[in-house]
Amino acid sequence: MDPALRAAATGMMAQQTRTEVIAHNLANVNTPGFKRSRAHFEDLLYQTVQGQQVLGENDTQITPAIQVGRGTRLAGVQRLHEQGPIEETGRNLDVAIEGEGFFQIQLPSGETAYTRDGSLQISDQGVLVTSAGYALQPPIRIPDDASEFTVSATGVVSVRRGNDIQPTEIGRIELARFANPSGLLSLGQNLLAPTAASGQPVVGFPNDSGMGRLQQKSLEGSNVEIVQEMVEMIAAMRAYEINSKAIKTADEMSQIANNIAR
Amino acid sequence: MPGPVQNNGLSAAASALQMLERKQQVLANNLANASTRGFKAETTFARMMGNQLAKADTAVDLTPGTLTETHNTLDLALEGDGFFVVDTPAGERFVRNGNFRLDANRRLTDDQGNPVLGENGAITLPPGTVEVDATGLITVDGKPQQRLRIERVAPGTDLEHEGGTRFIPDASRQVIPPAERTVKQGFLEESNVNPMSAMTEMLSVLHRYGAAQQTLSTIDAVRGIAVTDLAKPV
Repeated sequence: MDPALRAAATGMMAQQTRTEVIAHNLANVNTPGFKRSRAHFEDLLYQTVQGQQVLGENDTQITPAIQVGRGTRLAGVQRLHEQGPIEETGRNLDVAIEGEGFFQIQLPSGETAYTRDGSLQISDQGVLVTSAGYALQPPIRIPDDASEFTVSATGVVSVRRGNDIQPTEIGRIELARFANPSGLLSLGQNLLAPTAASGQPVVGFPNDSGMGRLQQKSLEGSNVEIVQEMVEMIAAMRAYEINSKAIKTADEMSQIANNIAR
Repeated sequence: MPGPVQNNGLSAAASALQMLERKQQVLANNLANASTRGFKAETTFARMMGNQLAKADTAVDLTPGTLTETHNTLDLALEGDGFFVVDTPAGERFVRNGNFRLDANRRLTDDQGNPVLGENGAITLPPGTVEVDATGLITVDGKPQQRLRIERVAPGTDLEHEGGTRFIPDASRQVIPPAERTVKQGFLEESNVNPMSAMTEMLSVLHRYGAAQQTLSTIDAVRGIAVTDLAKPV
């Protein structure tokens, strides 16, 4: 097959994937703590085509070889960790992170996963869990007689017990941070797992260097911006179209070539 | 045996067809990479050789692509000329795609796991907040680590594409002095392919291809006449 046809076809496949990623972003425009992704691509191997040999009257000239690329392929899907908008919900157990940190939660397997979704609940065992029911790490237990749950910007969790006037500190939320958050693996349910690409978690208290401070009664919205995604989608569609034109042109050229010999 | 003029005309038209085919292949590859980060388009230009043979040459178009903010600490982009240097099994390579990460040994690598080179070789970073300044100096929690090696080739020298958005540098490579660099942390460089001009060029290739085919057929027809009619007894 004509290399131009093949290269253009890889371009169409790339734009298809890009559109799938955009569709996923748009589907999560209302998911708290969701981070939008972008597909990114790399060029395929190049073929070096030998130059033509030209026989002159007195000398032989060999023209330099040229490089013909073979198109593109998906290199990865990268998550973009820009801060999402902090939206006030008024709900006591909603905690948003303003900064780079992640909440640490324990999966039933015993492994630790990470999330930015701070819509917390109190489980039947009285511990703080995410909306999916996974316990926050380190665990924070809410006493039965507790009222007026508060979380400070630095992660200190306090409640008022019984008829006490002074609040009691019952624990402190810790956050984790990654050198390369875009390298985290999505587990679904708003959960992320560390990989070699993300680096190991650095654990610390909120409001420490770059970890991010907490804001109670608020949630971090999705960082997907509809207009931006629409623009991306149009760009992907146009790029798809233009690659299809490249296929058409290559095909027309083959037809012309077929007409040489009549 | 056909005369030299006819022979030249035929081969000139044939080589024009071949040259235009190559051009189309290069354009298709550029368009396929319209959204490949750090990709540099290839430009083609036709040359007339001594015997009127057209030949397509390619060169890497080093025009910078747009920088997009990603807010990822390990995404680096270069403003102006120059390349990051990565160490691949095949040798040192140049990249503009600064989508870097840390591997299991905390070594800074490109997205395919090739170590990114600093002034003192591969870069291993301790845990902490990574900051990269405009000169490529990497600090972790304020402690200086290594400075990135950023190189360029002499003006007018051509680079070779390797795929994976890597380039093979030639002997003219030289380190860019720190003062002349602008490394931007949290940014990535987009492809520099301009779909509009690529599209226009593709249409012009198509039309010229048709014209070259016509020329070839005409010359062939003339030769046919020469062979059949001139050979007829009067």
